[in-house]
Amino acid sequence: MSQHDVDEPVDSVDPGSNSSDVPMRPANRSGALLGLSIGLITKIVLLGTLNATSIWALGRLIPEGVWLGVVFVVVATVAIDVIYLSRARWSIAVKYLLPGTLLLLAFQLYPVMYTAYISSTNLGTGNILDKEAATEQVIATSIGSTESDVSFTSRAATNADGTLGLILTDDRTDPPTILLGTEDGTVEANDIVFDGDRVESADGFTALTLGDLADLESDFAELEVPTDEGIIRLATLNRANLVGYRLQFDPAVDAITDVETGVVYRPVDGFYQADDGTRLNPGWEVSVGFENYRRVFASEAIRGPFLRVFVWNWVFAVGTVVFSFAVGMLLAITLDHPDLRGKRIYRSLLIFPYALPSFLTVLVWQGMMNRRFGIINDLLGADIPWLTDPWMARASVLLVSTWLSFPYFFLVCTGALQSIPKELTEAANVDGANGRQAFRAVTFPLLLVAVAPLLISSFAFNFNNFNVIYFLNRGGPPIAGSQTPAGSTDILVSYTFRLAFESGRGQDLGFATAISILIFVHVALFSAWGFRKTARLEEI
Amino acid sequence: MTRFTKWFTAIGWRHLVGVCALVFALFPVLFIISSSLNAAGTLSGSGLLPSEFSLINYTELLNGTEAPFLAWLKNTLYVAGGAALANTALASFASYAFSRMRFAGRRAGLLSILLIQMFPTTLLFVAMFVFVSDIGSVFPSLGLGSRMMLLIIYLGGALGVNTWLIKGYFDTIPRDLDESALIDGASHAQIFFRVILPLAAPILAVVALITFVFTLNEFLVASAVLGQGDPEQYTLAIGMFRFIDGQGGEWGQFAAGSVMAGIPVVVLFLFLQKYIVSGLTAGAVKG
Repeated sequence: MSQHDVDEPVDSVDPGSNSSDVPMRPANRSGALLGLSIGLITKIVLLGTLNATSIWALGRLIPEGVWLGVVFVVVATVAIDVIYLSRARWSIAVKYLLPGTLLLLAFQLYPVMYTAYISSTNLGTGNILDKEAATEQVIATSIGSTESDVSFTSRAATNADGTLGLILTDDRTDPPTILLGTEDGTVEANDIVFDGDRVESADGFTALTLGDLADLESDFAELEVPTDEGIIRLATLNRANLVGYRLQFDPAVDAITDVETGVVYRPVDGFYQADDGTRLNPGWEVSVGFENYRRVFASEAIRGPFLRVFVWNWVFAVGTVVFSFAVGMLLAITLDHPDLRGKRIYRSLLIFPYALPSFLTVLVWQGMMNRRFGIINDLLGADIPWLTDPWMARASVLLVSTWLSFPYFFLVCTGALQSIPKELTEAANVDGANGRQAFRAVTFPLLLVAVAPLLISSFAFNFNNFNVIYFLNRGGPPIAGSQTPAGSTDILVSYTFRLAFESGRGQDLGFATAISILIFVHVALFSAWGFRKTARLEEI
Repeated sequence: MTRFTKWFTAIGWRHLVGVCALVFALFPVLFIISSSLNAAGTLSGSGLLPSEFSLINYTELLNGTEAPFLAWLKNTLYVAGGAALANTALASFASYAFSRMRFAGRRAGLLSILLIQMFPTTLLFVAMFVFVSDIGSVFPSLGLGSRMMLLIIYLGGALGVNTWLIKGYFDTIPRDLDESALIDGASHAQIFFRVILPLAAPILAVVALITFVFTLNEFLVASAVLGQGDPEQYTLAIGMFRFIDGQGGEWGQFAAGSVMAGIPVVVLFLFLQKYIVSGLTAGAVKG
């Protein structure tokens, strides 16, 4: 608790608190008063907008039953109101920290936990729904397989809005029931007008004449009226048939039965599955525990490519840092000479690869390295498979990533060299060391100390440098025989991306997030080691 | 030894190395500028010098028949510009608290920020995809395809490296200045806005630029949120990638777009070069 703390105001003037009772120095009075009122108005407007937005959001969240969202909105809003209206001393620091912290919780911490959660599920194409919705869809798509012997006398009708309907006479009851069927289902009709024994209209739907029906024939052919027993479809102009569902769900035993074959499908791992292993699609999202992690290591067809991706990821990250540091440092030393002219021009131009957006420059390299049309093969008069041969592709990736990063180390080393006192190298020279010895014994160690933390953060950055890998070659060329989409230059993050969005078998989100979590664990362990080494935390 | 060899062994070879480095560094840049001015317009027809000088690639790209380039540029400026401004503001608020105030949980807060940095937003793209589609089922205007949602997601990373950089810079501003302002009756907010922020302008500019470039380059979360929708909603990174990847047919227009998107960034970098170097080294080393 130092005496310098500014949160021990002598004359406490919180610009937000409209407090004329707080004493102020006369010299500052008018300015402060102006600031005070502007501050207060801004605060009221902002808090008012926030509260209105929150209430509106709650109006959407509560009917949907998104309770986590409700809790977050309520807690965040109340916290903001309390903190920014508070005049207590302890609230001052919180006022400055709260907005960033709330955003951090919602869009960083929550997604981290969500990632961990998804990695324990089978979420992906074919398993995106919950069980109830999946069951409904399985049943609903099993229509049209069996014709039942139930049929109705039917009249095609429309109402004033042009909605299509079927006026159905159900003879199974006595007297017959008149039903009105639309694409939303059937209701018993109330307001019925008869013409003889034919129904002319019901509940605002009027039967069509043959002429009118001819115009709408194709629309009526597609009309399906869903009921519990099946769907009702127009068979001829005045008869409609009930078409039963082939599959029936029995909630009592939680199983689906095929009424034609008698096969029973029971829920297994997010699918209804028969004893012979046949599955009904779609499935639903279920927890699979550590199955996704087990798959990474247990299945040979996945483990092999995964380990290659993993090893290459390390080679790529370390190689990029080593090469770009070496090139950048040697350049910095070469161009750091008092009598050299044009130093500033060199520095300004060498920054280009670092300054230009990497997604653009990597795409430019992709074009330049094109085997048939690229300018590099063109100028060399060669036919080098820069991106199509696995080993050449890896070398190309390293070349491009070095090109992207060496200017950074050039700038950093140039700065660091200028902070190393010239007396040190001079003293070494006086002691009889030549230039090279002085560099190895004095300059290089000091330089390394200065840039070591940058090397580590550069490693961490390049370990996940998606753009270079994906934009240069989409991680390719593919590894032959891999069960998952893994390429020769894929790193873990690009592998994850392809699993999530580009796999031939559809999105495999559960498995992709399991790989993400493995990356997290990895980077966390490495960073912990790195921070300990550089003792970065001492000076907080 | 002639005068030339003497000059060469001392200075000349350095120029030789420097020029080689410049060729390596600038070759792709010159190639893309040349391609953009080449009437041929295809990858195979592009050389180091335009075979036929023309601005047709620029006019065709801006006409937008092949790709909605201007829409991508606008989206990118909206998302990256918004993220840069808001992140810098949020990070400087937090830095002020961390640098100038002492409170329970301060050290824990700073360490947590470091810890959570190990889970970069970019790596959370799968969860973001599901999360945003969940949000979209309640608030359709913020669901998949929403640029505003993408911008908000990027704000989640405001308390991160940026906070450390800015805090490091605030720490170097003498506290005597705060104290004299305090004696003059200034509140904590007035000290922050009128004393600290103006003095920290260089680091704020650097942080804004770094955030801008990071967001500009960000592909994973952007394509998870915007990538499945209407091409009009893409950012430059998604749009340009899908425009050119693996084909090279519209190479000339791609080159023209790259030049237009790249030049402003380079100019900003050159303008802020001095601060970037000192900001990166001082901030990142000292924390």
